[in-house]
Amino acid sequence: MARPALRKVGRPEEGGPRLAHLDRDRRLVEAAQADPARFEALYRKYLAQVYSFAYYELRDHHEAEDATERTFLAALAGLARFEERARPADGEGASTFRVWLFQIARNAIAERRRRQRRRPEAPLEAAEHVADPLDLEATAVRHDAATAAVRAISRLAGDRRRALILRFVDEMTTHEIAGVLGRSEGAVRVLIHRALRTVARELDDQPQ
Amino acid sequence: MTAGPPEIRGRDSLEIDALVTDRYLESILAAHARGADMAPIPADRHPDPDVRQAVARLARELPRLHPSFRFEEALAGKLQEAAARMRLPLAAGGEGDASVLAVRGPDLPIAAIDEGDRIRLLGDTRLVIGRPLLVGGAVTSAALSIAGAVYVAWRIRHPQASPMARAIRAVARTRLA
Repeated sequence: MARPALRKVGRPEEGGPRLAHLDRDRRLVEAAQADPARFEALYRKYLAQVYSFAYYELRDHHEAEDATERTFLAALAGLARFEERARPADGEGASTFRVWLFQIARNAIAERRRRQRRRPEAPLEAAEHVADPLDLEATAVRHDAATAAVRAISRLAGDRRRALILRFVDEMTTHEIAGVLGRSEGAVRVLIHRALRTVARELDDQPQ
Repeated sequence: MTAGPPEIRGRDSLEIDALVTDRYLESILAAHARGADMAPIPADRHPDPDVRQAVARLARELPRLHPSFRFEEALAGKLQEAAARMRLPLAAGGEGDASVLAVRGPDLPIAAIDEGDRIRLLGDTRLVIGRPLLVGGAVTSAALSIAGAVYVAWRIRHPQASPMARAIRAVARTRLA
């Protein structure tokens, strides 16, 4: 059984500090560890995030779906061995399950990328395939902007790209990204800062 | 940039700039998550204007993605089957983590939003999505996402009658029989 991760919350005037679990997924994880059928709640919660990460990395829907599938099947198979490691310093709402899941996703994506290198790569221009019958003009402007942002991200190298995707698309904290990428928090901050400078230069001459 | 606050003293300039950018990002993404304006940040805690502009654009414009609904349900089904296989050894007193999982399934077609769904959902103004959303290969607009609308409507039409729940009931029935 996972080791509890607790922190003090609440004000003294409310009867003294109480203890709360740090990992927002803890109950879901424990339920799924007791009964694998209840893994579905975690699957539904993180499907889009894992798929987004995979799609930005692999730039192909089928490849992203494949990596997503491998990630969740591997997570379900390994869930009994997952151990909660959230610490008070991780902050409220920290989820080590999410970090663990994205570590699996990162490996699944790396495996798909190795396969991709053996054949021609399809460019990620997803944001150009947009159609909204409601407001074509505004839609076109928005889609140009989205395309530019996606393109700027996709041109970044390795962990810089991953760090920005995890920060902006999956909205992870620096601490979580450090866990996924296997780097220190300081290193992730520098990665993101440098990546943003590169993106700024890339977007400089493009429409907003 | 000068190192004012105690937490950034003793760091080199790149680390300080990175820390300032990190704090700024934290504020702007938290505000985005709340759907509110960002709380004011003192000018000496701002990253340089280029970085600020890049942060603003990425936070606003990077699409979030969702796989096709067909894929979502197909994978839910595979997980349900895998979970059922894992539960059998558990019920028999085993450790339950020795299942061999079939990882690769058949290729799944990208989901198509049917025309009926489009027509029914075009006028649904509750379904406002703040950033572009991509579903199974079709990016939708930021303001009103048809795909997002279809997704939410689909969810409404399919409340918690989950494949996992059905699987649990099926296994229970099998055991009782």
